[in-house]
Amino acid sequence: MAHIWPIGGGKGGSGKSFITSSLGRLSAGLGRRTLVIDLDLGAANLHTLVGVPYPSKSFSDFLQKKVTRLDDTVVETPFENLFLISGAQDPFDIANLPYEQKIKALRAIMRLDYACILLDLGAGTSFNTLDFFLLSQNGIFITTPEPTSIENVYRLIRSVYFRRIRYCFSVSQFKALEEEAIEQFGEGAFNKPECMMKVIERDHPESYRELQNDFNAFRFRLVINQLHKRDNAVLGLHICRIIEKHMGLGIEFTGNVSYDDHVHDAICQQVSFLDRYPYTKTAGELRAVGRQIFQPAGRQLMLQYV
Amino acid sequence: MRKSFAELNYYEMLDIRPDAAAFEIRQAYDAALQIYQPGSLVSHSFFTDAERREILSLVEKAYRTLIQDQLRKAYDDELVRRGELDAVRETAPAVKKPVGIFSISRGRGRQPAGPNPESLKNRILQSARIRELTGRPALSGEDLKQIREELDVTLEEISQATKIRQDHLINIEEDCFARLPAAVFLKGFVKSYLKYLCLKPAEELAARYMETFARLSQSQRAEENK
Repeated sequence: MAHIWPIGGGKGGSGKSFITSSLGRLSAGLGRRTLVIDLDLGAANLHTLVGVPYPSKSFSDFLQKKVTRLDDTVVETPFENLFLISGAQDPFDIANLPYEQKIKALRAIMRLDYACILLDLGAGTSFNTLDFFLLSQNGIFITTPEPTSIENVYRLIRSVYFRRIRYCFSVSQFKALEEEAIEQFGEGAFNKPECMMKVIERDHPESYRELQNDFNAFRFRLVINQLHKRDNAVLGLHICRIIEKHMGLGIEFTGNVSYDDHVHDAICQQVSFLDRYPYTKTAGELRAVGRQIFQPAGRQLMLQYV
Repeated sequence: MRKSFAELNYYEMLDIRPDAAAFEIRQAYDAALQIYQPGSLVSHSFFTDAERREILSLVEKAYRTLIQDQLRKAYDDELVRRGELDAVRETAPAVKKPVGIFSISRGRGRQPAGPNPESLKNRILQSARIRELTGRPALSGEDLKQIREELDVTLEEISQATKIRQDHLINIEEDCFARLPAAVFLKGFVKSYLKYLCLKPAEELAARYMETFARLSQSQRAEENK
């Protein structure tokens, strides 16, 4: 069984692809067969970050039935143990994935045989992003310490929350729940998943229990990227605290990654930042985040088999 | 579903333990302000203005209640009545006092390891050997050692408690007269040694030891002169 880590962040430019590629490199460095999938459909660029500027195959080959198995779209990267499903040279309308194709893609990803799969998701909160995010219970949120980015990450977390609730109900039921929540908690309550959960607790106890079990099993993580020297280093802890307190979702702060101009240089030179500048503070912090994320995975896997 | 913010008690609002000291409450309040005040990066876009105002007024109320001992006591009583808090905490939390940097046992009320005086006294009363040794007219270092071993006390303990150097204690027990300190000091040392072992009367026993010491050291010197 593969461990799937969806990596999302709401705002564009917060470093999702960079962190995905770095985590991919770190996981591969541990000797695990690691696959990074570019699911930023229509704005794919992960291939450039992992050293495959012109991938021969791409994700859309699978969707357009040029190949039958998703496995056949995997390309090797210059790094040992690191593989890529790229989104390069996709058709222009790939971003608007029809429902059946999305389901097909989700199933195929679940069946892939790798020790670790990292999903690089796009910005925004389109259903594609949310569904890919909910593929696993180990989602990683990335944000920069700026109001714009934090706003978007809250939006994304709420959307993920709502999307999960939505799975349990039909469209009309969901609509009724929304109206009920507004009636009970006032204007703006349709935007608050915690209010809706209260309504569900009263009206649909069995769905509530299922949802609650699911949310308890989620192990969301938060990474603060591009932290400048003068920024508040405990920002991430505070964000996790407020999410737990006011949204009732468990989320774990994984670490800060400092801003470093060398990242820009490395990307421009199209070399791996971790190889080119291994002794920078940022590289050290990336490795620490990698340790945090990948080490407990073994234990988790064991628990599922017991 | 977890409780909403307004349903939390003041301790939960500020994320502190019910026995938090005043400075911890102040720190928690500062941290909460950092999170909730308008313009804070953490809660940016998380709340509407009305919600933020409500939360801030709650935090303010929580702080004002908990920081004043009387109000806090009343609030605690109410929590106990509601069953949210155990009634164990009757007294106000002990004020944390500064600790000397050289004191190693920083824990509260920790006694130095070793036997307590009560059990020592009991053992002295029960032991026939000690009664015999202290009953004799003479008391040598060898006798002291036997008493100490009978009571199961180590030299290290005595040295730590009385601040007498261990080599002095060893010399006393082995009757190495040549290496013992001057008689004034020696008497004091032996007295503290006896007091630590709870042997009574310490004054008299020490005097007896000094007599024995004088006699033995004289005879030893005479032997050497021959």
